[in-house]
Amino acid sequence: MTLEIVAFWAFAVTLVGAGLAVVLGKNLFHSVLFLALALIATAGIFLTLDAEFIAAVQVLLYAGGVITLVVFGIVVTERLVGEKLSHVSRHVAAGGLVAAALAILLLRGISHGPLATTKPGLAGDLTRQMGTSLLTRFTLPFELLAVLLLIGLLGASYFARPED
Amino acid sequence: MTGNPVFFALTALLMPAASFLIIGALPPLRRAGRVAAWFSSGCALVALVAAVLGWRAFAAAGTAEPMRAVWWWLPSVRGPLATVGVLVDAQSTTMLLLVTLVALLVQVYSTCYLSDEPAPSLGRYYALQSLFAFSMMGVVLAPNLLQLFVCWELVGVCSCLLIGYWYRKPEAARAALKAFWITKAGDVGLLIGIVLLHRLTGTFDLVELRHLAETSQIPLAGLSIITFCIYLGAMGKSAQFPLHVWLPDAMEGPTPVSALIHAATMVTAGVYLLTRTEWLFALTPQVLAIVCWNGAFTALLAAVLACVQTDIKRVLAYSTVSQLGYMMAAIGAGFAGAGFLHLLTHGIFKALLFLGAGAVIHAVGSNDVADMGGLARRMPQTAIVFLIGTLSLAGVPLFAGFASKEEVLGSVLHGGFPIPFLMLLAAAFLTAFYMFRVVFLAFFGEGGARREARSASIPDPGSTHLSPPTSHPAAGDSTDTAHHGHGVGSLAHAHDAPFLMTGPLWILAIIAMIIGVSFLVTPPHAEFESPGWLTPAAVVVALSGILLAWLTYQRRTISADALARAFGPIRRAALARFWLDDLYLALYRSVLLVFSRAIGWTDRYLVDGVLNVISAWTLDGGDRLRRMQTGKVQDYVWAVGFGLLVLMAWIGVAW
Amino acid sequence: MGLQAYLTLAAVVFCIGLFGTVTRRNTIGILLGIELMLNAVNINLVAFSRFRGDDTGMVFTLFAICITVTEVALGLAIVILLFRTRRSASADHIDWLRG
Repeated sequence: MTLEIVAFWAFAVTLVGAGLAVVLGKNLFHSVLFLALALIATAGIFLTLDAEFIAAVQVLLYAGGVITLVVFGIVVTERLVGEKLSHVSRHVAAGGLVAAALAILLLRGISHGPLATTKPGLAGDLTRQMGTSLLTRFTLPFELLAVLLLIGLLGASYFARPED
Repeated sequence: MTGNPVFFALTALLMPAASFLIIGALPPLRRAGRVAAWFSSGCALVALVAAVLGWRAFAAAGTAEPMRAVWWWLPSVRGPLATVGVLVDAQSTTMLLLVTLVALLVQVYSTCYLSDEPAPSLGRYYALQSLFAFSMMGVVLAPNLLQLFVCWELVGVCSCLLIGYWYRKPEAARAALKAFWITKAGDVGLLIGIVLLHRLTGTFDLVELRHLAETSQIPLAGLSIITFCIYLGAMGKSAQFPLHVWLPDAMEGPTPVSALIHAATMVTAGVYLLTRTEWLFALTPQVLAIVCWNGAFTALLAAVLACVQTDIKRVLAYSTVSQLGYMMAAIGAGFAGAGFLHLLTHGIFKALLFLGAGAVIHAVGSNDVADMGGLARRMPQTAIVFLIGTLSLAGVPLFAGFASKEEVLGSVLHGGFPIPFLMLLAAAFLTAFYMFRVVFLAFFGEGGARREARSASIPDPGSTHLSPPTSHPAAGDSTDTAHHGHGVGSLAHAHDAPFLMTGPLWILAIIAMIIGVSFLVTPPHAEFESPGWLTPAAVVVALSGILLAWLTYQRRTISADALARAFGPIRRAALARFWLDDLYLALYRSVLLVFSRAIGWTDRYLVDGVLNVISAWTLDGGDRLRRMQTGKVQDYVWAVGFGLLVLMAWIGVAW
Repeated sequence: MGLQAYLTLAAVVFCIGLFGTVTRRNTIGILLGIELMLNAVNINLVAFSRFRGDDTGMVFTLFAICITVTEVALGLAIVILLFRTRRSASADHIDWLRG
């Protein structure tokens, strides 16, 4: 019972539980909050994988940024006054069937091949490695990402312009 | 002058074919009308010259062996399955003479008779005439049964098209179709017979078959059916009972067409076929007996029917049926030579009679005998040639028909068929009677006075018809007089026809006279000995028929009314044409139309129904499938997930 | 914990996200489902990268997270636009492309 295993299981259970709450919840706002919990649990999983930088980015961008965005979206689109935020799922059976079947197939596929059981040793700090490769090997995607963010910014502001 | 008879025969055969192809392929030539007429007649003249030269060359060659030239047509493993070509022997060269002569004379005659047809129609007429001449010669010169059958069918098609030349007239169109159908019924039998014969012997070729038959190499089992089937074909074309009903209706065509087709060529094709295959029929005497009895019966039946007709062309049509019965009876008695001789003489004088009748119709403007009278004074040439033809038909000595008719009678008696002989004798009496009735009514006697009392010609005690149902032409839409643009002829203005029409008449009349005289001087070689009383008996029968006609219609000592009353029931039956047409119509309606309707129903509801059901299902299915496109993104995502599942399962990722 | 554990976790979360995407009626609910799916993919990437000792997968994850944020922003912009024109955020009403 090492710390790693306990941490993994804790975060895993939290993640799965929060995920189920997201999709099965009736209240949209509650679903969003459970999503935030799921995202933080994911950050925890990243920590167990020694990916501290990714975990930090996850918490900052996802749990911070995305949730904020979604909350604002809800505020804009739902009539908060006088009406309960609720939504009923549709076609549960069909969706559940496909999701379950897909899960089963994926799990079976995973259980087939021989997979590594121990993590290889780390040669140095992963964060430092990542930074280096971002600016050397992956410079081009890095820059393109910046362009992409610019395009996204423009697009979103165009979409959301005031009506005239 | 000798030469290769095969070459001449080929020339004679191919000239009208070339004429047809050229006229058919060049619309300007066809539309020019008279130019096509002269072109076609020119080719016919060349064909006649070739036929004469070929006949002389073959006769000079002296050999009795037939010569032939064939080309492969349908190849098969063991040599050609079918060949085309010509077979030249005594029969075919003689027949070729008759065909080319009558074809030429008819084409020349038609240039004047059909002078006021529109030019394109005239072109069509001559194209058809050329095609007909070619196909008839194809039948005559056929070296094997397959080519004979092909040309036989072609003859039928041409005759249908020529009978229906004025196709806008419903009666003409119906008559053409009727001719086609009835002869087709016989042709089915012919085809079956030819195929069965091929199965039995392995060859279509006439020379080989003859050799096999004469050396008794053909198995006799089933041969009777084959010969009977071949006889069926002849029955259709040569208008034997009960397939004779098309011939009187075929008079809706122009008179030159009747002269060509229904006197000398097409209807003789059946007789010619039987003559060609007599060695085959000789192996099946029972079928020959049927041929003889049916021929004699047809002769008598048609003679009776001819006595009550008032349309001059219908009288001649029934007379043709009757004479064809004579020829068939002779063949059935086993003496095909006698039948063939009668075929040749009959061809001459019947063509003469038809063309003469055409001149009369052209002058008077009506087919009906009641509209005619005293034409001998006004149309002396026509009267003379018509009289020559009638005397030949009646079988009076010195004229062509006498010797051949006596041959036929003698052969039937010698062949051991006494009752058919008596039937033929009775038919001879009636032939003389009805032909001279027409002569006396049309050419002698008072003219004009008859026109008012139309019903006075043949008073009818019992029935309400004045004349046979379809033969009475009303003014203006008569069969082949309505087209005369230069005024409908009338009795008062009747005159002899122009030279182009009387020329052929005189040629035929002179030939008939020459044949008659030469037969009197040197009787044709007979294969049998006739009893001594035969010739006087035949002459007496003919003369008594003429006498009866004279007494009734010229001198009026015997009243036509009394005669009619005496034969009342027979007369009524004859006027209704013995209800044969009605029988055929009833059969057509009850059998053929019912069958057609059943097939039609099956086609509409079963065949089309299946297709309609399939199409309806397709449309319905498409409609339902359309609802898969809901337009909602989530459903598409679900579909992607499902597709991913299928893909994974298929390529066996998870197994 | 072996690689298999992480992959299993990611597969389960992915399928949960798929279920959410397909069944939610609210458009924002659909976006939440998509978020879960993307998260599962990121877990997969990082796990593989760690067990190889390589950092390539983690860099990929970085990019994925950034792009996801962009996509969420744009998606919400679309939802807002839809809400403006239709006065409804229900995904059932967006069916103009139906056959």
